[in-house]
Amino acid sequence: MKKVKIDRRHFIKITSLASGSLAIGFMVPGLPALISPFDCEFFQPNAYLKIDKQGKVTVFVAKQESGQGVDTALPMIVAEELDVDFKDVKSEIAPFGTLKEGEHDTGGSQSIVDMYTKLRKAGAVAKAMLISAAAKVWNVKESSCAADNGEVVNTISMKRIKYGELVCEAAALPIPTEVVLKSPKDFKLIGKSEKRSNLKDILTGKAKYGLDLKVDGMVYAVVERCPVMDGTLVSFDDAAAKKVPGVLKVVSYKGTGIPMHVRAGVAVIATNTWAAMKAKKLLNVTWDEGQKNNESTQELYKTFELKAKTKPQIDVYNKGDVTKFAGQNEVTANYAEPFLAHATMEPVNFIAAVNAGKCELWGGLQLPDWAVNTIVKDCGLKKENIKVNLSLMGGAFGRRLHFDFAIEAVKIAQQIDKPVQLVWDRTDDIRFEPYRPANYHALKANTDSMSNVVAWQHHVLGTPVSFMTDGPDPKNAPEMDGADRGFVYDVPNVYTGYTPVDFNINRGWLRSVDICVNTFPVESFIDEIAQKLKKDPLQFRLSMLENRPDFKTGDSPGSMVQSPSRVAGVLKMVADKIGWKEKRKPNHYIGLATHSFIFAKSYAAHAIEIELIAPKKFRITRVVAAIDCGVVVNPDGLLNQMEGGLAFALTQALKGEITVTNSRVVEDGFFSYELLRFDEMPAVEVYVIDSKEKPGGVGEVGLPTVAPALCNALAAAGNRPRTLPIRNEGFSWV
Amino acid sequence: MKVSLPLKKFLMPTFLLTVNNKQYTVEAEADMPLLWVLRDLLDLTGTKYGCGVASCGACTVMMDGNAVLSCQRPVGTCVNKKIITIEGLSEDGSHPVQKAWQKAGVPQCGYCQPGQMMAAAVMLEKNKKPSDEMINTVMSNNLCRCGTYHRIKQAIQFAIEEVNKKSF
Repeated sequence: MKKVKIDRRHFIKITSLASGSLAIGFMVPGLPALISPFDCEFFQPNAYLKIDKQGKVTVFVAKQESGQGVDTALPMIVAEELDVDFKDVKSEIAPFGTLKEGEHDTGGSQSIVDMYTKLRKAGAVAKAMLISAAAKVWNVKESSCAADNGEVVNTISMKRIKYGELVCEAAALPIPTEVVLKSPKDFKLIGKSEKRSNLKDILTGKAKYGLDLKVDGMVYAVVERCPVMDGTLVSFDDAAAKKVPGVLKVVSYKGTGIPMHVRAGVAVIATNTWAAMKAKKLLNVTWDEGQKNNESTQELYKTFELKAKTKPQIDVYNKGDVTKFAGQNEVTANYAEPFLAHATMEPVNFIAAVNAGKCELWGGLQLPDWAVNTIVKDCGLKKENIKVNLSLMGGAFGRRLHFDFAIEAVKIAQQIDKPVQLVWDRTDDIRFEPYRPANYHALKANTDSMSNVVAWQHHVLGTPVSFMTDGPDPKNAPEMDGADRGFVYDVPNVYTGYTPVDFNINRGWLRSVDICVNTFPVESFIDEIAQKLKKDPLQFRLSMLENRPDFKTGDSPGSMVQSPSRVAGVLKMVADKIGWKEKRKPNHYIGLATHSFIFAKSYAAHAIEIELIAPKKFRITRVVAAIDCGVVVNPDGLLNQMEGGLAFALTQALKGEITVTNSRVVEDGFFSYELLRFDEMPAVEVYVIDSKEKPGGVGEVGLPTVAPALCNALAAAGNRPRTLPIRNEGFSWV
Repeated sequence: MKVSLPLKKFLMPTFLLTVNNKQYTVEAEADMPLLWVLRDLLDLTGTKYGCGVASCGACTVMMDGNAVLSCQRPVGTCVNKKIITIEGLSEDGSHPVQKAWQKAGVPQCGYCQPGQMMAAAVMLEKNKKPSDEMINTVMSNNLCRCGTYHRIKQAIQFAIEEVNKKSF
């Protein structure tokens, strides 16, 4: 077993509980030893958990729940080391302000990666203190005591004492600086499926999402926004709007710049949401749209195509010399992917109350610290005067990394004397959100006479998120994960580059981020080369993966490690399970794709079988997924993410697209921005690689290989799509 | 500059509603959708707002035994109707559909699930052995962005087993 040094900065000692001096005064000599000398309600050795006198454990979850299951997986980790029955564990949102700045941040599939060891230590510290407390009570050595399922056992007398009876003793003890963590072979909870901790509340309608919260005296606001980003308000006429019964007031506010580019808005404030929505339609607003009000996605793709023919503006990665092979057995292909909206089922919303410089906020935020720091800057409030109450989110997928809606709510609340809930209607949600950037890829490869890939070039063109959040500065632009130094295939000469193209709509990160963006062209192109060389796409990939050792993707000690053998492992698994080597049924074709979700330390592959019904019409007959995410904390949660990830990724592959004309988004809801529906969901089989590696994240890992696997199946059937969504190339499905 | 919002009393008609076997008198404009009456006036927030235009199914409730999109039903058309929301589907989450959803571990974010369950509950009330085609038709009205369709399908099979067990 390994000893772990505790970083004390991670823990908040609840001093009021640990100070027992007053209580000591009430001690009556002769009382049974088991009665605690300290008056306390619970034991809280750190910010992550507390135990009450009934032995009930509350785990304070640092990461924000939006469907990815952190409210279950994170408490499981604590309960494992604490040695308690999971039925006695309750999950609560860690109150904002009780953790280090940034610790609430939720994104990039980092929750397990970030919290796994911290929470094991937190649970182990509590257990060690409870054991010390029991040893004191029994007046025996700590080595004669062991924890077992919510109790400490005296291993000599076999007496038992419940954790709940030890909380006051434990609370008075010093926090140990070193604790022993369990050996994974002794795990009882980690690796066993647990149902979601708030399942019953969700199923009975009791779960409260941001939109369900009520604050005393609260009013509702719906906003008419400037149709063009960075435009300004000239004037508005609210005479008709104010006649709607329930409408209390109409206010306006200016837009903001970096990082969120909140649009200038006119807000209708009413006693209920419906009145505000109805009145908004009656506003008559004049905007100054600024100079950049005539951009379109149609023109943007023309710009991409033109610039793709030139040298990338930024060199990202260069190994060997690709120019040596110019023209030699050259394969080239271009791929395109559109802007996408997050389209969370719960539209974004936020409650703000501002009074006498004090500000209280309620709602879901993936990056609450950045939100607060920006509100301070954009709204002129003092940080110490802002209180944040975080809430459950009805989907996030990166949407709530952005906090434009929180700034809007504060700007409205600053003008009135009541708490206000800002509600985005669905049209607002599809028209004004931060979109996953549109992008374009020009790829080129050269092979030698033995059909080995000797040179690989990848030019990514995109409308970077950073141009919106940080300003149009090329140095921060590249969104190149999966196509930079971590490029996984063993090719001796590699060049990748990036060309940013600015575009005047809000952009943001969407689930699976640039790894999804870059895996589509990479996994399509590798397949395309194999096809051209008449090589088996599985063996062709494996020949460039299996013998390549793990490598670092940077020069600093903390640089990420890429593991080609794990990328190969998941690929072999899906090929094996779908029967890659077996004879196909008539008109059935299989496509493969694999990848590493490098910064979440997880690897996944898909094999998709289609039946071709007409030249461009198909049915998905089988989907096989494999994931290698190291130690699995909650297998049921992992499966749910992989199954759901398929639906999310199929939406993108088949039909997801945001188009822009005159710098305005055309789509306005689920009729025009269609999501995958129930009858379109294929069956999915998920296989998990048995691994002892450190646990990786799983929320985004099931997406990137879906579109390329599907497109590779269609290519095997005779027509390769190179543009997403594939319906733009005339494909249809049943 | 701050303005004090008036504590205005708006003159609105009143409606008598029967929701989850309880009677409520609400003051609202006649065109206010049932969705917002439930959520903003009665504090029954289990019924969710997803789109307001009949495209997502998140606001599905039961009305006189039928599945109804509450965003499409002006409150004026809801009097003398028996309305059941997710809060009234059962007292304790014991409705066969809720139990099935629990067994299959369906939700991720969970936001669309009340609407999904109400749609499934109405379907099973009308037909205890729905065909796959009927399940597809009914459940395709309800969107789930997390993509829990695979488990919803499984849960509906569990619920079908349960309701057919009870009837014999």
